[in-house]
Amino acid sequence: MATFAFKLIAPTRVLFEGQASLVIAVTTEGEEGILAGHAPFVGALKPGVLRAEVSDDSGSRRLELATDDGFIQALPDRVTVLVERALSIEEIDIEATRAELAGAVDPDAIAFAEAKLRLARNA
Amino acid sequence: MASVKDLRDQIRSLKNTQQITKAMKQVAAAKIRRAETAQKQARPYAETLGEMLRELVGAVSRIDHPFMNPGNASAPSGMILMTADKGLCGAFNANVIRQGESFLREHPGAAMYSVGVKARQAVRRLGGGERPTWPLNAPSKLEVAREVAKAASEAFIAGEISEIVLVSSKMLSMLVQRPQTLRLVPVAREGIAGDAEASGPKAMVEFAPSPEAVLSQLLPKYLEFTIFSAMLETDAAFFAAQLVAMNNATDNAGKLIDEYTIQMNNARQAAITKELLEIVGGAEALNG
Repeated sequence: MATFAFKLIAPTRVLFEGQASLVIAVTTEGEEGILAGHAPFVGALKPGVLRAEVSDDSGSRRLELATDDGFIQALPDRVTVLVERALSIEEIDIEATRAELAGAVDPDAIAFAEAKLRLARNA
Repeated sequence: MASVKDLRDQIRSLKNTQQITKAMKQVAAAKIRRAETAQKQARPYAETLGEMLRELVGAVSRIDHPFMNPGNASAPSGMILMTADKGLCGAFNANVIRQGESFLREHPGAAMYSVGVKARQAVRRLGGGERPTWPLNAPSKLEVAREVAKAASEAFIAGEISEIVLVSSKMLSMLVQRPQTLRLVPVAREGIAGDAEASGPKAMVEFAPSPEAVLSQLLPKYLEFTIFSAMLETDAAFFAAQLVAMNNATDNAGKLIDEYTIQMNNARQAAITKELLEIVGGAEALNG
């Protein structure tokens, strides 16, 4: 399958840099799946689960992360995703997230907590 | 002339001081590396954010976002004064604060937000429209940047301030830090677009949901991130300034130690010579 350069960047570090064959992100308009050769596209992301089929030095794998809001930029040969926060399943503390969700008032915080739980449930 | 004992005490105390300044210098050197790593790690995000913003601004003909429109002209300016939390870094903080003072002279009654303990003290001293204050060193600088951006942009949108200006330190090199005044909001279209438009027509970019909607989500992020970058830069510049200041202090202490050592040796030699003369003089007297 054709691949493209994929970068996932958080404010304080680069979370992933390598090749990907598919990136699925939750934009404000709904889920957007991106394959190689996509038309130039820039979208705003809302909190949700980001999935990608990626490969780098450590081999091919499926990347699944709960992400906070951010942006996605797709060009035919590369895709860049900017997120405020991204957590893998290992980094999510389910109990703490439940408590967080119960106490949250900010809609974005609620959405991010829900994304974390959704990722945890799927796994 | 000071006695040998006085001079010896003086030298001992100088050596202690020198040890402290030398230790602080080494700590600063280590911390610069950390601060620079943090800066480097933040760069990819900043670059991509800037790139997206350029594309958006190029794609939208008229942008209807408060940040792109002139602010309430009758309101005072809003200034974010950013310094380090601590001193012992030469004129580093003082230079930034002086820059802030001159901005205040040109824009009387400006609302002052402060980041960094030294900036807070300066704002207190300057009086005027004091606004919220944050320390520079927080567990999460990004969180602080977010709060600063939120407070300032809310005031801007509410028409309480006419612009958001950042006064902070720019790190030109390890040896040179210079204060700079940057207007963050309203965002200058030319400032963002830069040479993008000169490089000819771009491929059609599709925006979801719409360029305006993406832009209105991106602009606040851009403000947050600009403040965050400035905080990281201030941090790195502070340690660079501290390194230089402590290096100078160590050198100066060394020079003083050398000088006092010579004085002490002279004084000791003078005392010995005097004693010898007395002994010789006494022996002569007995012989004679």
